[in-house]
Amino acid sequence: MPDYKAPLRDMRFLLDEVFDFPASYAALGASEATPDMVSAILEEGAKFCEQVLAPLNRSGDEEECQFEHGVVTTPKGFKEAFAQYAEGGWMGLAADASYGGQGLPHSLGLIVSEMVAAANQSWAMYPGLTHGAMSAIHAHGSEEQKQTYLTRMTEGRWTGTMCLTEAHCGTDLGIIKTRAVPQADGSYAISGSKIFISAGEHDMSENIVHLVLAKLPDAPAGTKGISLFIVPKFLPAAGGGVGARNAVSCGSIEHKMGIKASATCVINFDNATGYLIGEANKGLNCMFTMMNHARLGTGMQGLCLGEASFQGAVKYAGERLQMRALTGPKAPDKPADPIIVHPDVRRMLLTMKAFNEGNRALAYFTAQLLDQAHSADSAEQREEAEDLLAFLTPICKAFMTETGLEVTNLGMQVFGGHGFIREWGMEQLVRDCRIAPIYEGTNGIQALDLLGRKVLGSQGKLLRGFTKIVHKFCQAQAEHLQLKGYVAQLATLNQQWGELTQKIGMAAMSNPDEVGAASVDYLMFSGYVTLAYFWLRMAVVAQRRLDAGEGEAAFYQAKLATCAFYFKRLLPRTAAHLAAAEAGSECMMSLAAEHFAL
Amino acid sequence: MADYQAPLRDMRFVLNEVFEVSKLWAELPALAEVVDEDTANAILEEAGKVTAGIIAPLNRSGDEEGCSWDDGAVRTPAGFPAAYRAYAEGGWVGVGGDPRFGGMGMPKVISAQVEEMVNAANLSFGLYPMLTAGACLSLNAHASEELKEKYLPNMYEGRWAGSMCLTEPHAGTDLGIIRTKAEPQADGSYKVSGTKIFITGGEHDLTENIIHLVLAKLPDAPAGPKGISLFLVPKFLVNADGSLGERNALSCGSIEHKMGIKASATCVMNFDGATGWIVDAPNKGLAAMFTMMNYERLGVGIQGLATGERSYQSAVDYARERIQSRAPTGPQAKDKAADPIIVHPDVRRMLLTMKALNEGGRAFSSYVAMQLDTAKFSEDPATRKRAEELVALLTPVAKAFLTDMGLETTIHGQQVFGGHGFIREWGQEQLVRDCRITQIYEGTNGIQALDLVGRKVIGSGGAFYRHFAEEIKAFTDSADASLAEFVGPLKAAIANLEQMTAELLERAKANPNEIGAASVEYLQVFGYTAYAYMWALMARAALGKQDQDDFYASKLGTARFYFARILPRIHSLTAAVKAGSESLYLLDAAQF
Repeated sequence: MPDYKAPLRDMRFLLDEVFDFPASYAALGASEATPDMVSAILEEGAKFCEQVLAPLNRSGDEEECQFEHGVVTTPKGFKEAFAQYAEGGWMGLAADASYGGQGLPHSLGLIVSEMVAAANQSWAMYPGLTHGAMSAIHAHGSEEQKQTYLTRMTEGRWTGTMCLTEAHCGTDLGIIKTRAVPQADGSYAISGSKIFISAGEHDMSENIVHLVLAKLPDAPAGTKGISLFIVPKFLPAAGGGVGARNAVSCGSIEHKMGIKASATCVINFDNATGYLIGEANKGLNCMFTMMNHARLGTGMQGLCLGEASFQGAVKYAGERLQMRALTGPKAPDKPADPIIVHPDVRRMLLTMKAFNEGNRALAYFTAQLLDQAHSADSAEQREEAEDLLAFLTPICKAFMTETGLEVTNLGMQVFGGHGFIREWGMEQLVRDCRIAPIYEGTNGIQALDLLGRKVLGSQGKLLRGFTKIVHKFCQAQAEHLQLKGYVAQLATLNQQWGELTQKIGMAAMSNPDEVGAASVDYLMFSGYVTLAYFWLRMAVVAQRRLDAGEGEAAFYQAKLATCAFYFKRLLPRTAAHLAAAEAGSECMMSLAAEHFAL
Repeated sequence: MADYQAPLRDMRFVLNEVFEVSKLWAELPALAEVVDEDTANAILEEAGKVTAGIIAPLNRSGDEEGCSWDDGAVRTPAGFPAAYRAYAEGGWVGVGGDPRFGGMGMPKVISAQVEEMVNAANLSFGLYPMLTAGACLSLNAHASEELKEKYLPNMYEGRWAGSMCLTEPHAGTDLGIIRTKAEPQADGSYKVSGTKIFITGGEHDLTENIIHLVLAKLPDAPAGPKGISLFLVPKFLVNADGSLGERNALSCGSIEHKMGIKASATCVMNFDGATGWIVDAPNKGLAAMFTMMNYERLGVGIQGLATGERSYQSAVDYARERIQSRAPTGPQAKDKAADPIIVHPDVRRMLLTMKALNEGGRAFSSYVAMQLDTAKFSEDPATRKRAEELVALLTPVAKAFLTDMGLETTIHGQQVFGGHGFIREWGQEQLVRDCRITQIYEGTNGIQALDLVGRKVIGSGGAFYRHFAEEIKAFTDSADASLAEFVGPLKAAIANLEQMTAELLERAKANPNEIGAASVEYLQVFGYTAYAYMWALMARAALGKQDQDDFYASKLGTARFYFARILPRIHSLTAAVKAGSESLYLLDAAQF
């Protein structure tokens, strides 16, 4: 297994040099998030992830979670690592200070979570789900609920889950069957069975707070009849402790391809006591408030595993000796050259590097929007940030996980036969990454969300909000001495983006199938153009630093070289996605369902 | 996981209607005696039964159980030894074997279909007979008559298995630096010593003996790939009367813990002065390996297709049964709580991509197999030469492109299942894990691409390439007007490949790094263009029959999908090829 080293240099480059986080924290009134404080947090976080979490990654995969009589045991070391995490105050880093958190910006929480997931994706699921549940309770819970649950979760004494999926419905939550019957004391009796519940049962915390989607007896059919409930594993006792065991049990855990140390549970509710959170029948809305955050987090899984894979691959490519360079021996004193001399190995490494660093820029920019949507001064600023966030979130989730899967596969390929062997750790990263394009709304669903709900649903307004930013950037940099060729390439694609959207929009007016026929290729096209914009923003900064003779030249040169690689070798993929997105639905819909297998 | 059903209808379509393969057989005397259309149909049907009925049911359990190693002995999962016996008794291990030594003598175009079936049923299982067949090919082509008589009949019969021992810990791609030694003995045998890794089928409990073909160096061998010899090293020595003698000095040191093909034993093999016999002349070991390489590499490509086919069958079943959300155009299954997901355009995109790549892959691998048969059996030297050159050109494409497409296909098949795709019990994720090795072993796909561009296209000065391009141009020039919708884009694709090839030939003269910089994407453009040719041929065979039989309507629909949605990928890939090597060398190794 490759050692994990938090990429602090690249993280600081984005925070300080590209996106000026210090200024935006100051503007948002996050006075405690000073550059020194941020630096200290990143360094401490890095240490914890490198020294505590990363060493548990390989063993956790081999051991997996164990299930016996409703009890789930996590792999060796997981519990202790979680206790250390909670003690270090990491659970409450970005949580509301009124409930015991440190009240730091959400973006900082996400940036720390990048290191956590890169070190150990399975382990990261437990705090990750807890954060999700915390934000839902924070946004929609009553004061009493916040006092009862949020404080314990912020401390890391209790963890959380999100119970949405049932055996017959994943994407289509409108048809869930779990019921909630009102009781005389104001509580509800919850009955039903939920599947695929990450961290639904485990041994890391004294209580587990389930957030459960269920239907009230008189609820309207479909998605408008779903309510959200808090259903704790143990009922809370006065004084902050736990009381009686609730009628909630784990029926089994799944045997999965990856993230094997994350418990994926069947959770059965047998008249369990639950408490309504938010308004009746508004459960899906409650979920949606935290969706942007959760989807960005899932998108980052692609980045995290990609980063871990890249670190392993670069090290191996520098050490593994095999064949001579085509241009003549580079290590004449050795029996063969290190494989990093071979152009195709470089192609793989550069593809990885270009996606990782581009995705990191996209993720941090989006995290910054989360802060702004949350706490910008004016309603106008908040709305602007929310619109951009709504637009970029499905791109983050789907594009970063698709490319993350490609990156981890390339990292494995660099290792040749050893990539297939578990001890080397590279194949685990592929398996752990493979769930990311599936859960938290499959990438197909993200694509429908982007094209159908966000772009066409706003008559193009949300798209224009972003293409305008790109357009202005291109205008400002049109004469850039070194980068103008790339700027022109981006400007052309930015325009094609609008034209493609119009074309699909027109076609969809007469045939709604046109949206789903184009959506995935549309999203991928969007992702490549978006990343091109962020690559140029990074390149402009790097060139400026080099021109001014500031900082480490090698770092900035590498940025420029990777940018060049992105524009020359990866961005052309837009052509294929464009052609596919424009091809229309007829060739997909004409085959009868029974003609698929004859 | 849906029950596996051999795609016999499509195989017959490809063999009989697209390529009219019995005409080729009739022209080749060695094949005319053993096979015609009826025999072939009967063989395929029987293979379909065995693979679906006996081997496919062991796939999921084999993955969970894996192979286990105990003190040098390897146990395969429950059911494997019995299934292997049944498979061997049917004669399937020797299906393509030389009839002089008890093989069935079937052409490669038939054994390729059998390989698809066995690997789709159970890739881990399929590797054992495949390695045996590969070892037999080498022996039959290069061993002395004595060795052949002693070993081949039992191997074809499936009583003994084979392995290929090439890789060492420090030498995979770069076989020139292997360290295993062979010392000549007074009796003409050799003492072989060294350690080999990643030996598929190196040790197991399926057969009474295992015949290892081992690459090693003689004491006076020149350095590098020209100093490698090939040895036959049996697990048990064979007595003069053919009975098994004492155990040879070789042992399995451990087996690997892998991502997939867990029921296939991947062994570390230690040779401690083991007795072996040289195959072919000294220092000609790599050349002896290369004879079987084309067969093996096509076979690995077919593994990609096979896993893709299996994944597709389950995905289609699931997409018709799983109900979730309503169709965008309004409810289609009004009596149900939601519509089956096959109504959704994006689910169809995934299924059609799988279908188009699988069926294109089946046609292409069959086409390459026919070239192998022509190269082996034709009596006309010119025809043979052309076929050999086509095989040389197309083999790396078949290995790399079919496995790349296999991985894409199995990933789509997993995605169609949503969350269930990630759960082992459903079987879709296993196909991804099993398929993933096919891009790595038998020469990584990066190495295949270098082979295609460097050795085959540039190495022949473009001559090999021209055979293929001219065949396609002859087809497009003579195609009926009714095929215009397919022939138009095919013409454009071949013109694109033509121009790209010419440019690359030119650029590589100035800078050898241009080859490696362009090679992977070049191979993919080549693959998509070759599939376009296959899809045009299939459309030609189906056109006019679509009203009589839905099979043909489905073919034409899939062909249209391929040209509209998949072939345009060549534009992006071509741009990457044309970008050249410069952006790959702007960074020092340390700057990564």
